[in-house]
Amino acid sequence: MDWSQFGSFAARYLPQLWNGMLVTIAVAALAAPTAVAIGVVLTVPRVAGWRLLSGFVRAYIEVMRNTPLLVQMYLLFFGLPILGIFWDEITCGVLAVSLQHAAFLSELIRSGIAAVSPKQWEAGQAIGMRRWAVFRQIILPQAAIKVMAPVSNQLIVLVKDTSLVSAIGVLDLTLSGKVIIERSGASFEVFILVAALYLILTSVIGAGFRISEARFTRRLG
Amino acid sequence: MSISVLLANLPYLFQGAVVTLWLAFIVVTAGTLLGAIVGTIASGGGRILRAIVTAYVFIFRGIPVLVVMFLGFYTFPALGIRLSAYAAVTISMIVYVGAFVTEAVRGAIAAVPAGQVAAAKSLGMRRLTMLREVVLPQAARLAIAPILNISLMAIKQTSYASVVGAWELSFAAREIVERTLAAFQIFLGVMMIYFLICYPISLLANFCERKLSFDH
Amino acid sequence: MPIPAGAPIVVSVNGLVKSFGPHRVLNGVSFDVRRGEVVVVLGPSGSGKSTMLRCVNFLETFEGGTITVDGAPVGYRSDGQGRRRMLDEKMVAENRERVGMVFQSFNLFSHRTVLQNVMMGPVSVQHRDKSEVRKQALELLEKVGMAEKADQYPARLSGGQQQRVAIARALAMRPAVMLFDEATSALDPELVGEVLRVMRELATEGMTMVVVTHEMSFAREVADRVIFMDGGAIVEQGVPHEIMANPQTERFRSFLGTDRPDRGARIA
Repeated sequence: MDWSQFGSFAARYLPQLWNGMLVTIAVAALAAPTAVAIGVVLTVPRVAGWRLLSGFVRAYIEVMRNTPLLVQMYLLFFGLPILGIFWDEITCGVLAVSLQHAAFLSELIRSGIAAVSPKQWEAGQAIGMRRWAVFRQIILPQAAIKVMAPVSNQLIVLVKDTSLVSAIGVLDLTLSGKVIIERSGASFEVFILVAALYLILTSVIGAGFRISEARFTRRLG
Repeated sequence: MSISVLLANLPYLFQGAVVTLWLAFIVVTAGTLLGAIVGTIASGGGRILRAIVTAYVFIFRGIPVLVVMFLGFYTFPALGIRLSAYAAVTISMIVYVGAFVTEAVRGAIAAVPAGQVAAAKSLGMRRLTMLREVVLPQAARLAIAPILNISLMAIKQTSYASVVGAWELSFAAREIVERTLAAFQIFLGVMMIYFLICYPISLLANFCERKLSFDH
Repeated sequence: MPIPAGAPIVVSVNGLVKSFGPHRVLNGVSFDVRRGEVVVVLGPSGSGKSTMLRCVNFLETFEGGTITVDGAPVGYRSDGQGRRRMLDEKMVAENRERVGMVFQSFNLFSHRTVLQNVMMGPVSVQHRDKSEVRKQALELLEKVGMAEKADQYPARLSGGQQQRVAIARALAMRPAVMLFDEATSALDPELVGEVLRVMRELATEGMTMVVVTHEMSFAREVADRVIFMDGGAIVEQGVPHEIMANPQTERFRSFLGTDRPDRGARIA
């Protein structure tokens, strides 16, 4: 390919890729809050010390950590109809990404809470606060500062992992690239554009996280 | 719904698992080697070299591995290199894993205490001797747990090779599902096989993390 | 044990100037150390004494002045047109072989046993015969009272034990001079004595030493000469029983008066 014409080449395919990018952003925007919400819920039994539920949560986390997201997604998309549950590919994709990342996020949140010194608990109780009040007013803000960076990193991994929804037919950025190449016979440089768009997406989100981390830390620290 | 369909197809799945293990072994070994070399060179190199390595790490950590696989899959033929999907995926993954290992190795080398370096210098060690005798052995300890976690990530990611068309465990599973329509049982069974492969490494990584944090 | 004025000069520091950013920490320091001499450098924290010591081993770069060890220039040479050129890595390393250094934080190699720590320099830098080095290393460990711990890893040792191994490690290189950078400052009080005892023994044996320390009794009893530094310069120097008993400047007088009498009284 003549690289001097990369500009017009990009202009030709960018609109199509842009639509795919919007789908990728939409999937990530749905999956990220879902994953965080599930992750927080999964953390509760372990922090509260409910034995039985903690056991289930830990088993769940180990399964999610040690099996590929792609197979989990296949299980949801191809397996659920056998049980009589019919969900479209976007729902299954978002759910699979959320369920997997909820496990990682829960583990990060739990270790963040555990990393706050036990002396802080004692100090809170020493001034007469109840357990829950200590947790909400003393432990949680400190844990939040500790987990911000690892949670941000995990969410960037989540954005990258949304590319797997292409495997069950969601026309996201990755699948758009593939379709352009295979249907309109465009050359491999389309995937350089796809890669560049992902890189822009993850770096912009990463920069956004870093800025809000700095603000948040300043406000609480 | 019975699991007999899973049992009947287990031999075929195991064939796929063997390919997955091979793919994972090659990718993890070569990727670790690549990352160890690049990370070590970058730690001692000049500004330009460091900038190139930083760009390499930044780019590959910023895009999905599936996209890197497609990139390899479409690029090699366009450059006139005829490769199987399997080879294209292997090379792509090695480069991808190499970026993660590079970052881990760089971090580990940077984490070797300054006092150790000062002591090595004061014994009259030159750069290569210092690297061999002091910096790398200590950095290796620090890098083991992160590299195990990267390996875990890579093993799971080998399943994405099926999307690009390389035959391995996940690909075999899809073939069986297309034939038998027993998606639930087969994919659940495949998850169990992956779990059996990954869980020991997961345990080892946790163990190393704990052990190394106690000693130093 | 007076050092004859004719004894050869081992370390020569001339007009040493060093800054960290805009902050000048050494402002023209000059002194010589003769063979067999024990020089103790005193001074408040921030006086530049540790930085000066690190310059002698070229662990710090410096902007002005010259340092020689055994006549060889440290760190820089003149290119004949009056300009300074940094020595190449090989020459810097060769210079460091002549200088033994003991750090405040010991810095034993944590991945090697005590014996391996002591053997590492002679084997991997000087390429001496391994069995001969091993014999010498065991003798040195015996000397510092650490022979029975030869196969332990540093993490298992107390600070005092680690520091004694660090001294043996530096001695194994057969250096022309030993530098001690606050070698007892990081130790628990009850462990200081065992390290000072080893240092004292070395001094008696005629080792050339430059010791940066806060241990007043060590300075008083072991030093041939005491140098008092403040603000990046040498303020006073002389024989300890003269200048410590009768300081000539107000700064040294107040330093001696305030520097924690409990530490000065400790048995060395």
